[in-house]
Amino acid sequence: MNYIVVVIFLLLAAITLVSGVMVVTVKNIIHSALWLIASFIGVAALYLLMEAEFLAVVQILVYAGAVSILVLFAIMLTRHVTGEGTRMLYERWWVALLVALVLFGAVIVPTIWNQGANWDAAATAAQSSITAFGEDAAPGTAVASTINIGESFMREYLLPFEIASLLLLMALIGAIVIAFEEPTSRRRVLTLAEEHALKQRGIVEPRDAEGAVMPTIEAEQAL
Amino acid sequence: MVETFQQTFGAPLWLAVVLASGLKVTLILVGGSLGMMFLTWYERRAIAYMQDRRGPNRVGPQGLLQPIAEAIKTMTKEDTTPLEADRIVHFLAPVVMLAATVLTFAIIPWGNLFPSDLSVGVLFFVAVGGLHTLGMLMAGWGSNNKFALLGGMRGVAQMVSYEIPQVMAVIPIVLMTGTMSMQRIVEAQSGFGGLAWNVFTPVGLFAFVLFFIASLAEGERTPFDIPEADSEIVAGYMTEYTGMKFAVFYLANYMTNLAICFITTSIFLGGGNGPGVNELGGFLGGFLSLIYFFIKALFLFFIMVLIRATVPRLRVDQLMGFAWKFLLPLVLVNILSSALWVSITRWDQQAQIFTTWFGAPGTADAPNFIRLGVAVAVTVAINLGALVMVMGLNNRASQEHMRATDEELALGL
Repeated sequence: MNYIVVVIFLLLAAITLVSGVMVVTVKNIIHSALWLIASFIGVAALYLLMEAEFLAVVQILVYAGAVSILVLFAIMLTRHVTGEGTRMLYERWWVALLVALVLFGAVIVPTIWNQGANWDAAATAAQSSITAFGEDAAPGTAVASTINIGESFMREYLLPFEIASLLLLMALIGAIVIAFEEPTSRRRVLTLAEEHALKQRGIVEPRDAEGAVMPTIEAEQAL
Repeated sequence: MVETFQQTFGAPLWLAVVLASGLKVTLILVGGSLGMMFLTWYERRAIAYMQDRRGPNRVGPQGLLQPIAEAIKTMTKEDTTPLEADRIVHFLAPVVMLAATVLTFAIIPWGNLFPSDLSVGVLFFVAVGGLHTLGMLMAGWGSNNKFALLGGMRGVAQMVSYEIPQVMAVIPIVLMTGTMSMQRIVEAQSGFGGLAWNVFTPVGLFAFVLFFIASLAEGERTPFDIPEADSEIVAGYMTEYTGMKFAVFYLANYMTNLAICFITTSIFLGGGNGPGVNELGGFLGGFLSLIYFFIKALFLFFIMVLIRATVPRLRVDQLMGFAWKFLLPLVLVNILSSALWVSITRWDQQAQIFTTWFGAPGTADAPNFIRLGVAVAVTVAINLGALVMVMGLNNRASQEHMRATDEELALGL
């Protein structure tokens, strides 16, 4: 049995769990977002330990690199939500605990139910398959490669894949509709040369976006 | 390398692995930092000549020791932290940034030498390079300074936008070579006497230009150095950093640029492949490949310097518009044309009709020039058409906006 792998696994699991706990216990909301990233990276490292390289890299690319960055970004754009002084626990905390436990159970129970019989076989396979560095893993425990994942997207899981893409497309279009702004509703900022040319033509005095007359450079200098 | 340690010194497996990894990591770290030092000197000298100045030329021969003098200077400076700053986040930001940068060096093939061959190497580069953003955000927020925060926000918006064209620009190469491992991508470009570089195909050329532009934004090079625009927001997210921490940011930035040059060289310019590498083989061939690799990477860095000396900085809205309205559609079209390229040059069983039209697909020894020619014509037509169309659309939109504003101004609204 390769003890190094076990030690590394325990370390990574501890890092992931501790940062996960920190996410919900830390008072400062930015700190908790940063702990969330640490937890994501821990999960990616666990994937890497299982030789699922593609999954690990995608975990970092999507979760640590994009999702959590957007979370941080959104927090920073909204002012005064540092969360210092807010209460963390309310009277009905046990309901939340119950819901969390039920959800966790919904994931773990079927797995044990279905795969419990294979437990010993899997353990022995894992022990025998931990090979020296540079050798290929035993065929029985091969992890899905990038090609396998791509093929299963295009073959057996085509419908879920298409539905997910459609959902994302809808979200994209919705975001554009919300953020859309008539192109002429906000005026472009004039360059100094353009402002000068307009004044030379005697057409108009420069105005700001609300339409108020802005002081000209000469007037500012006179003050 | 592991075997060498085991056989020559009789070390047990775990010790051999630890020694080999330690050696590789040390080499990468030392090589990266030395490369960064050289790059700072090179950039300043080159840009000085472009601007009719001399640049640093006093410390050592031709000023080559200038970076060392500067390293000593930054190390002896006082390291301050703002009183109101978040001390831990402020301290960790440069660490995160440097870590993300150094990790990308793990998959760079130095000529024919590979530190590690990850099966998803290309994706790894983009993913870990994206963690760079995190350091920026931490620095911006942890400094408790409005300029730093502004710089951090700008940086994040820029990185998140440009990551998308950067990843998608590599997809054509992954389609053409059928792998994401850096080693195999480099090997796939060794045909035609070491000149089968991806950049010589129309799809590859297009992808190269798009990838390089997106990478410039990822590495905060000049037309896109908005996060640290010194004439607008002091020094962006680095405003509150002094001494060695500032130097670490600097180191991370230049190492990112170095990594970008290396990766672009490996993916598009054939890595260490060139005339004579395969013929020589062995140690000499490896040495020659290393030289080719460095020449190509330095040439790319020279282009970066040239751009810095000539192109003014973009405005924030222009930056976003460029990524989403210009780069992204072109990158998507390029994926389409690369799929056509692969099908025309290689498909045999999948579509018999290609074989009846153009003959059997070529091999490494006897390339099928009819198929190649048709593929070149089709992809060039598609890519050029897309380029003209996207440019026309962008031009029309901006001109319409200008005209509308002018009318409005003329009416005095």
